[in-house]
Amino acid sequence: MGRFILRRLLLGLVTLFLLSIIVFVCAQVLPGDVGRSILGPFADQKSVDQLNQRLGTDRSVLVQYWDWISGVFTGDMGESLAFRRPVGEVIGPALVKSAKLALLAFIIVVPIAIAGGVWAALKEGSFRDRFISLGGLSATAVPDFVWAVFLILIFALTLGIFPSTATAPPASGFFEQLHYLILPSICLIFVLFGYIARMARAGTIESLDADYTRTAVIKGLPQRTVVRRHVLRNSLLPTIAVVATQLGYLIGGLVVIEVIFNYKGLGQTLFQAAQQKDYPLLQTGILIVGVVYLVATLLADIAYSVLNPRVRLGSEE
Amino acid sequence: MDPRQQRVDAIRARSTELENHIIDEYRAGKIDRREFVRRGGIVGMSIPLVAFLASACGVTTEDLEKKDKAQTAKPKPGGTIRLGEQAPSGALDPVTVNNQGGLVVLGQTGEYLIWSDPNLKPLPRLAESWKPNSDGSVWTFKLRKGVKFHDGKVMDAEDVASTFDRLADPDVGSNALSVFGGVLSKGNTKAIDAQTVEFRLDEPNGNFPYLTSSDNYNAIILPKTYDGDWEKTFIGTGPWKLDRFRPAEGVSFVPNREYWDPRRRAIADKNEMIFYANEQGLVLGFQGNEADVVVQFAVSGGKALLTDSSVITTELRSAAHRQVHMRTDKEPFKDKRVRQAIALLVDRRALVEGLLDTKSDYGNDSPFAPLYRSTAEVEQRQRDVAKAKELLRAAGKEDGFSVQLNTWQGFEMPDLAQLIQQNLREAGIRIDLKITDSTTYYGKAVFGESPWLDSTMGITEYGHRGVPNVLLGAPLTSKGTWNSAHFKNDRYDSLVDDYVGAVDLHSQRRYAKQIQELLLDEVPIMFLYFYYFLSGAKDYISGVETNAMGHTDVSRAGFV
Repeated sequence: MGRFILRRLLLGLVTLFLLSIIVFVCAQVLPGDVGRSILGPFADQKSVDQLNQRLGTDRSVLVQYWDWISGVFTGDMGESLAFRRPVGEVIGPALVKSAKLALLAFIIVVPIAIAGGVWAALKEGSFRDRFISLGGLSATAVPDFVWAVFLILIFALTLGIFPSTATAPPASGFFEQLHYLILPSICLIFVLFGYIARMARAGTIESLDADYTRTAVIKGLPQRTVVRRHVLRNSLLPTIAVVATQLGYLIGGLVVIEVIFNYKGLGQTLFQAAQQKDYPLLQTGILIVGVVYLVATLLADIAYSVLNPRVRLGSEE
Repeated sequence: MDPRQQRVDAIRARSTELENHIIDEYRAGKIDRREFVRRGGIVGMSIPLVAFLASACGVTTEDLEKKDKAQTAKPKPGGTIRLGEQAPSGALDPVTVNNQGGLVVLGQTGEYLIWSDPNLKPLPRLAESWKPNSDGSVWTFKLRKGVKFHDGKVMDAEDVASTFDRLADPDVGSNALSVFGGVLSKGNTKAIDAQTVEFRLDEPNGNFPYLTSSDNYNAIILPKTYDGDWEKTFIGTGPWKLDRFRPAEGVSFVPNREYWDPRRRAIADKNEMIFYANEQGLVLGFQGNEADVVVQFAVSGGKALLTDSSVITTELRSAAHRQVHMRTDKEPFKDKRVRQAIALLVDRRALVEGLLDTKSDYGNDSPFAPLYRSTAEVEQRQRDVAKAKELLRAAGKEDGFSVQLNTWQGFEMPDLAQLIQQNLREAGIRIDLKITDSTTYYGKAVFGESPWLDSTMGITEYGHRGVPNVLLGAPLTSKGTWNSAHFKNDRYDSLVDDYVGAVDLHSQRRYAKQIQELLLDEVPIMFLYFYYFLSGAKDYISGVETNAMGHTDVSRAGFV
């Protein structure tokens, strides 16, 4: 297991390095330049040139990349070109915000979706199965911004139960912050429920059809024990992989929801950085999202191997 | 029937369509009494008639009474005023700021020599008075005494001189260089004594005071020791001082108890600004009571606010507009008759009513917005399809032609492009729309590397300006750096020089008329409308002051 984790970590570092190069090259392909995007289209060209010189964005691409990547190795992520402050100061609060929202959505959606999927699978073809499957699919099919506006109109503007934004006032306590995060979390639950529930349902149906389940039933074990000990353990394996990949999306991919709920998370920060060609901010942010993906998939693999001895043994061979 | 109602009906029966439209808007509560009186006067309704209609046409409704009360009520001291606005796009620095989100923040703690009010009247602020020499090439400003920066240091002429030197210095990267280029050079602003500053201009300029005013939002007066890190202190001389700044999220201010003008000392205990990433979030936040004031909204994104009885909206005439350029050096627009035909085909009235819910003045194909005091009376261009077809026939284009129209996905511009496309189809002109993101549209913003400046036809957004000088220069003069129409006309260039150098309003109007007539004939750019600046406040707030540049002064605002 130790070698397995070490190998995955080394591969992760290589992936992150390649990711940084890809992001840097992609950012170079975008039209416009940094000075122009900061000062706007109507600024005098002399001012733009002066600003580019001051920011160092008039240097060659390789020099800029080397400057940034060598800083990363020493813990210096550089300075945001648009905000003119250390990248950590901009990205830190955004990451914390994204993590709070992701955690809340995760804590709610993962158990509900898995329970829903398993519950539907236990009576395949029944009304409850169709209700959960079709309902989940429909909820997922509706774009997140539609859910966001709909939820705000109903629960914030009409009923006045929840705030219309997700950003709690400064110095808010835990429960007040939670109150502000409920609506965007519900929105995410709608978006993720169908996907996770379908995976759990499919895995459960497959496990229910497996020989080991049939043997357990024939042995005379009660249904609850069969499900808990034999079905769930196997059926959740593909679901774990799905859940892990959603974590990266929740941390760095919620641009639209963050914009509508006025929540300055990582997604919105990165989107703005891409628009302004703010390379240090964009690259650092994407590296963080990359790390989240890698850690989540690593944890999923570890969980996978714990639940499935064949994987564990295979890795040790 | 009620005799008052009978009289209203009789008046309406003999009123024009436009007059009835204004009365309908007033009845529906879309405009307030003040705006009704103003617009009634503009369309030529007599004062007694407007006064009668104002009292007879629905002003007794509960909503309007409530709004009137809120607008005139004296605010109570205390409380926190929350302003919602679109987020500044990057670091806040008076020298480089270029967007409304930034300028509204700057205006809370910073101040200008002159305040340009909603009617473009220059009011003394940090300058007490100003006067030009005989030809307008040297301007002398007398500064107010007893003004202190937030750090306690007294503001003097050295601070003012260094502020303008910094803005005019090509080596600083100032965003005001596009305003001061060819007007004021580095080193030509001198402190004569502690309260006197002299500006020696590159050329005579009759509108120079506006370039030092709140209309040039970079011109906040900063200490001469300013090092560029404005976000650390938000230093200025204004009625609010920095309390706490949360980059990209918001900023709060507390009253500056040492403020020099006792009449403008803050009434509220706190001024909290909340930044929103886009207009949709801003409007939803305001509707959801997360903010008490919305600094600006557009008709397209904030229509719900215009009919919300709990919101007091303010409409200010502005010079903000869209320019539709046609390359005068390229087919199919080389012949000015083709350009004239295009301008005659566009239905301005439908644009103003459909796109802007009538919250706009009509444009007449020159930068002279009706708001400007120097704008002269010139016959308004109206839609005339028959005349347009005649002109196209004369230019040998009776079968129409195809052309690409470039713009970017912002504001109402894609809708405007589609409406132009529909209008021109009537004369067989086929418009191929190319709508990109703003970065692609502007490219490097230099000739040869920018669809904005290189395209045959395009739509570009221009914000409000207190005087038309910049709009007359950069987009239209032969050497103009924003001349997307590639318009080169010696007479025009000379008229602009004459206009800019004219010190008195009478001369400015004389040159303005000639410029307006020339541009109406040449049509390098269509100026179709000048839309109003819209802002809103909840009906429990009064005393918010805005101008069309977007400056929002809440020093005298409070809860009623």
